[in-house]
Amino acid sequence: MSKLPRTGVIRDYDMHSLSVRIGYGVIYGLCLVMTVFALFPLLWVVLAGFKDLKEFVSSTSLLPRSFDLAPFAKTWSQLGLGKNYLNSLISVIGSVVCALIFNGLLGYGIAILRPKGCGVIKRLVLLSLLVPATISIVPLFMNIQRLKLGNSFLPLWLSYGANAMYVVLFIQFFESLPYSMIEASRIDGCSPLQTFFHIVLPLSKPICAVVSIFAINAAWSDFLLPYLVLRGGELQTVMVRLFVFSTEQTVNADTMMRSVVFSMIPPIILFVIFQKQLTENAASAGIKG
Amino acid sequence: MKNRNSDLIRRGRRREDLKAWLIMLPGILLMTFFVWEPLLESIRMSLYKTENVELVKFIGLKNFISVMGKSNFTQALTNTFAYTFWSLLIGFVLPILLAMLVGETVRGKGFFRTAAYLPNMLPGLAVIILWSAFFSGEKSGVLNILLAKLGVPTQTYLTRANLVIPIIITIATWKGAGATALIYMAGMASVNPELYEAAAIDGASVWQRVVHILLPSIKKLAGTLLILQIISVFQIMYEPMVLTKGGPDNASLSLMQLMWQYAFGGSMDYGKASAVAVIVTAILLVMTAVYSYFNNKESDWD
Amino acid sequence: MKKIIRALALILALSLALSLLAGCGGQSQSAEPAPTKAPEMSEELESELNAFSDEVIDPDLTCTITLGNWPADTAPASELAVFEGYKATMAKQYPNVTLVPDYYSYTLSNYVPMAKGGTAPSIFQPPFTDPQLLISQGLVGDVTDALAACGALEKFSPSYVEMLADENGRIYGLPRDGYVLGMHLNVALFREAGLVTEDGLPMIPTTLQELAEYGQIIREKTGKAGLVFPASETYGGWLFTNIAWNFGCVGDSALEYQDETGRWVCNFTSPEAIAAMEYMRDLRWKYDILNADATTTDWAGSHSLLGTGEAAMNFAADDSVDQPTANKGLPLEDFALVPFPAGPAGRYALAGGTCYMFSPDITPDQATALMAYLRILGKLPFLDDDIIAGMRADYAAKRDRGAPVLPAISAWNDEEYNAAKQAIIDEYCNVDMRLYNDFFDSISEGTITLRAEEPVFAQQLYRELTAVIQRVITRENADIYKAMNEAQESFQEYLDDEINNA
Repeated sequence: MSKLPRTGVIRDYDMHSLSVRIGYGVIYGLCLVMTVFALFPLLWVVLAGFKDLKEFVSSTSLLPRSFDLAPFAKTWSQLGLGKNYLNSLISVIGSVVCALIFNGLLGYGIAILRPKGCGVIKRLVLLSLLVPATISIVPLFMNIQRLKLGNSFLPLWLSYGANAMYVVLFIQFFESLPYSMIEASRIDGCSPLQTFFHIVLPLSKPICAVVSIFAINAAWSDFLLPYLVLRGGELQTVMVRLFVFSTEQTVNADTMMRSVVFSMIPPIILFVIFQKQLTENAASAGIKG
Repeated sequence: MKNRNSDLIRRGRRREDLKAWLIMLPGILLMTFFVWEPLLESIRMSLYKTENVELVKFIGLKNFISVMGKSNFTQALTNTFAYTFWSLLIGFVLPILLAMLVGETVRGKGFFRTAAYLPNMLPGLAVIILWSAFFSGEKSGVLNILLAKLGVPTQTYLTRANLVIPIIITIATWKGAGATALIYMAGMASVNPELYEAAAIDGASVWQRVVHILLPSIKKLAGTLLILQIISVFQIMYEPMVLTKGGPDNASLSLMQLMWQYAFGGSMDYGKASAVAVIVTAILLVMTAVYSYFNNKESDWD
Repeated sequence: MKKIIRALALILALSLALSLLAGCGGQSQSAEPAPTKAPEMSEELESELNAFSDEVIDPDLTCTITLGNWPADTAPASELAVFEGYKATMAKQYPNVTLVPDYYSYTLSNYVPMAKGGTAPSIFQPPFTDPQLLISQGLVGDVTDALAACGALEKFSPSYVEMLADENGRIYGLPRDGYVLGMHLNVALFREAGLVTEDGLPMIPTTLQELAEYGQIIREKTGKAGLVFPASETYGGWLFTNIAWNFGCVGDSALEYQDETGRWVCNFTSPEAIAAMEYMRDLRWKYDILNADATTTDWAGSHSLLGTGEAAMNFAADDSVDQPTANKGLPLEDFALVPFPAGPAGRYALAGGTCYMFSPDITPDQATALMAYLRILGKLPFLDDDIIAGMRADYAAKRDRGAPVLPAISAWNDEEYNAAKQAIIDEYCNVDMRLYNDFFDSISEGTITLRAEEPVFAQQLYRELTAVIQRVITRENADIYKAMNEAQESFQEYLDDEINNA
């Protein structure tokens, strides 16, 4: 195994000093503590899922009495979570598509096309970053109802097409693109839209990946607007169900914990698949945003 | 001749502008529908007496006067600043420390990074429900089980007025700190390791290198993240809603939660809810303005 | 409107007592052992479902109705099966009426935007406190003509006409059922603490003082909470009002009342109210019998703690007996329902109920279909084979899932109907009625006084009082008078804003 390069403050040279070596051990120790802190609650909730109600409420043991998967299967089928999973999937896919297309095009206009007067839009977008989305949830919900868009995924999808943070991420990325290539494509007679799809997008895979992952995670976790739009209907997502459980008290605490486990599985799978992109790209995208 | 040319250019330019606006139009329409119009509408609603969703009568600032005159507003405002304070105390330095620690590791760095980031991927609602079992005051509460192993008697947590806000911030920090740490790590990576090497050869201690090279490299970033953190903590709402319902005795009631109570807590007073929303927005804008004044750096946006 | 509410609050209490008198004659001792939870439908239940009439009643009625009273999909399979049975019967009798199950948990705040946006279910179930508000806002549909057409209109007791009608006498809803607040006991913990009579029955605390003392014994002997008190959001205040009544917060000392000028006044600082709050303080700091996390415990949490044996007593009503038992797993022989304990100034029990109301957009055809649906559910005061079959199905399902089948507090004011219903309940009774008799006797014999919720802005009142309770039970030396006075000022301001100066 080849030696990994050191990139931190402590250099190989420092390792001659005993105190630094001890300090280095402490650093590893602390990193392990952090790992335990980060992972223990997850491990615990899975263990708790094996308990029945009486055990969950009364038992003072962290471990369940049995590791029978039946309670999970029962919760899954009793609550009909399969349907909610499918709904969440549909909601997430549409949201990601909208997030890429609409925010991407808006960012493209602001960062590259720069028509006269687009500065105003840019300022408005930046200002929107500061305004919590929940603040205007009441009037927004009324707008959706007026257009008779209740009980449909459409408003949820489209709401991801209006995300100031994604627009800003796109703007920043597009501004860093080599302008000469875009100019060349225009001279070749490409329309702005053709330029976007043939030149800009292929160059923008990293930012598209970042926005996609953010949007997938946000759309999966979202529950306030989806709750208002999808409540009670056939289209409820997993998180809407979980929110309903927590407010309407229709499920027992043990079932609740299993629902929590189910709600965490897809993000964790997503994370396992994309952890490299997430821990590297997402962070460097965040640095600019 | 010359005139006609510039005319053509201008016309061409105008046509291109038009095309550009058309490309941006769907995005602008969506931003209008989902963000800008509702925001203006909530300002308008804050000035009206509302009955359900209808604006009944223009009443000027009466909603604001009524909302701000109540003791729960003062409490919520104080609490919200307490949330911000605790969040800065617990949540601001921790990610920097984590970034420094993980940044120093060589073997296992990828693993630590992964572990740190994972909680951030989990749905916020699920995280709050999960942690509610940790802070249960029953013997079966996770923290009580762990403390019992150390011989500490059963404690209650969420019934203590002075503990609830730090607890909620701890949960939020558990979820967010790792992801923020990765951003700092990316920032720290902008320092060429050779610089540390050179400083080390010049005899600078590890601590001196941290103070003089590492920390300055993230100063600007820390400023940005600080203001982002304040903005996000200021909007804290569903965490106390689900965990403590604002209790005990309003000790964890946040401003946004107060807004929610006015709108959906039974009284359906959207006018007063909007007034609270407008107040929160105003405070955020002022804080941002103060920040950018002190930051005193024209961003490259304008 | 407020006058109406207050007037009918009294009438309601009266009529509930009357209907109980009519209905609680048979005190069944035929307690068969409770059947263990059957995963499949019992044969008996199946035969009940098949007893529904299959004849087509109206082939021409064509419409779609969405059913907000459908059970949650988390409900036990047997309960869902009953509703599927209703749906199948409806499909046979009215082949062109489409029923769309749409489970909906009503709250005033989530209903209003739905009604405005046209997404409200055709039928839903608000508590008795809300109909007048919904009617005055035009948020519910008129079913007068459909009721008249099916012959149920004249069976309405005057109190319900007032509650469910507008000033022109148009009717917007039907009573579903009523409840009376009492106390749930975990009998197993009483046994463990030695609090049992010679017959092996639990010693029932008849006064709030006894409650505190028994709770202390239970705490000492078992280490479990004597009383679970869900002091979150509005629940704490809701339960507290009943305690306050028993300390004398009625009449001139009521928590809220209308003075001679018609102004609504709240009074949390009367000696009676202060004494009631001091009792709350003592429960926590003197007797220390409350559950650990009272301030975050909600309705479901309180049933969980009682049902799993972590608490011995819980203030709860007769309509939620299935919660600790069938839902949280407490065996029926370990569960008792007893009357609300008396206070130094009297013995009151909060009485309320639920009604059916309808979407503001329903058409006459939909209204007709909805009445047909309610008739199949047995919720109209008619006795025919279908309805008896429906009742039987309902009780059979309850018994099958291990929930107590108890004398119902009927909200219909029709003696013949109530008596017949009681006869069927006796048939399905699955509990030792000795664990319930005190509760029902106290109502039928009038040893407890039924009282409706505080008349105006009850939810806000509860919220204010909950905050005081939270302060009192989390801070040992809280200044009770000061806290009550603050809550009073705050709620008075609310009353002034919302009614007095509106």
